[in-house]
Amino acid sequence: MSEKRGAYAGKVKRAAQMLLFQRHRRPGVKGWELKRSLGRDFMKVVDLLNTRLGDLGLRVSVVYEGREPEGRPSEEELERAVFYVVLKDASSVESLSGWRVDEVAGLAAVVAFIASRQGKAARRDVEGLLRVKFPEWRVDLALDKYVRRGYLDEGEGGVLYVGWRSRAEIDQKLLLDLLLGEPLK
Amino acid sequence: MPAKKAMGREYLLRVISLCLSVSRRGVDPFEVEVKRILDAIGKYLPEWELPEDFSLDAETLNWLSSVVELQAAWVKHMSSSLYVDPLLIELKLKALDAESLSEVFARSWRPIVELEQLVPRRVKEAVDYWNLLPPLEGRWPEFEAGGRLGPGSATEEELRRRGMILDRSFEEALEEAWRELVKKAMEGRVPFWDFVYADSYGETVRRAYLASFLVTYGYAGLESDPLEGEYYLKPFKERGKVALSGQAVSVPISIDRDVWVRRKG
Repeated sequence: MSEKRGAYAGKVKRAAQMLLFQRHRRPGVKGWELKRSLGRDFMKVVDLLNTRLGDLGLRVSVVYEGREPEGRPSEEELERAVFYVVLKDASSVESLSGWRVDEVAGLAAVVAFIASRQGKAARRDVEGLLRVKFPEWRVDLALDKYVRRGYLDEGEGGVLYVGWRSRAEIDQKLLLDLLLGEPLK
Repeated sequence: MPAKKAMGREYLLRVISLCLSVSRRGVDPFEVEVKRILDAIGKYLPEWELPEDFSLDAETLNWLSSVVELQAAWVKHMSSSLYVDPLLIELKLKALDAESLSEVFARSWRPIVELEQLVPRRVKEAVDYWNLLPPLEGRWPEFEAGGRLGPGSATEEELRRRGMILDRSFEEALEEAWRELVKKAMEGRVPFWDFVYADSYGETVRRAYLASFLVTYGYAGLESDPLEGEYYLKPFKERGKVALSGQAVSVPISIDRDVWVRRKG
């Protein structure tokens, strides 16, 4: 019994190292990589790790390919998903070091705008939204920064999509709900 | 009925354009009235005779089917918990100030934890690389002297010998080169390399340098023979007297040491 517990402790340690230390150009580990390293019961290991991370204010976030599955995800969906370690609660804007408050506001507006349109919108429409608050010269700079950081993806024909980092870091449903509930000053 | 045909083609193109904008801009796909459009397309169908018309008809149907697909996804999205009215969100975004937006963002934001670490294996690779890397002196021997010499002094004679001070003005050197060119060309033209070639490579470079100024300052013209791949210098009788017939262009000519060696050989 203790042998089994020891094996799991080793796997949890390995999972933590895989998820916390960046191995590729982008952060995150694919489900199939975890499975290859931790075995078929890798989700059990991830759950155990999640419990340990919880004490530190962290948690494992799973971003599925395409739409989030309804109900229990299949093994295939888990293998194709990307796993990240994220903060449980960012709680303050100060955590966004190196970002100006208006850049954060712009990012919130752009992600909410695109998310409310099923995850895609024409760049010129997004530019129009930012122009309401940003001077002309800052609009392009801000959008390029969001694309560069992975918060937005830019496709053919000037279409912007919610990027991989937004999908990993931003609770889009919560963002939209909070926006609607936010009182106007 | 050519007028009806033309109208039909125009209608199909407008439908394609509408479908394209719906699919690209992420607007409500129900703005496309599929049923009505299908009826209209059906009315134009008997008019088509040319393959291009049938092709346009098929393309329109293809675009319409993609809109129907978008409508299905839209219905699914609207029934999901993520759905909120985009217009309502847009109005709210425009009304809120930057601070409120940032606060809202922070409450829905869970940043990724990213760490970087140097593992022992990578450190060993780095140490091996460092040990195998030859010293800079070995890799860049030509910079060795420059890197070690401190400031010194040189006599005027030394500077003249090294070509850093000229015996005469540049203008005089140019005039002399022009006179030499006029003499060599004998009212014709001289191959560029015949003019610039000298016994030493350094002197050849100097003459090419002067030749470039002869052309730039209007002492001579540069003609090219694309078939032979040869350039010719043609001196003017008086400086700048011949007007340029076209727009001035820069012509890079490489004074390659290998070419000079081949000529010498």
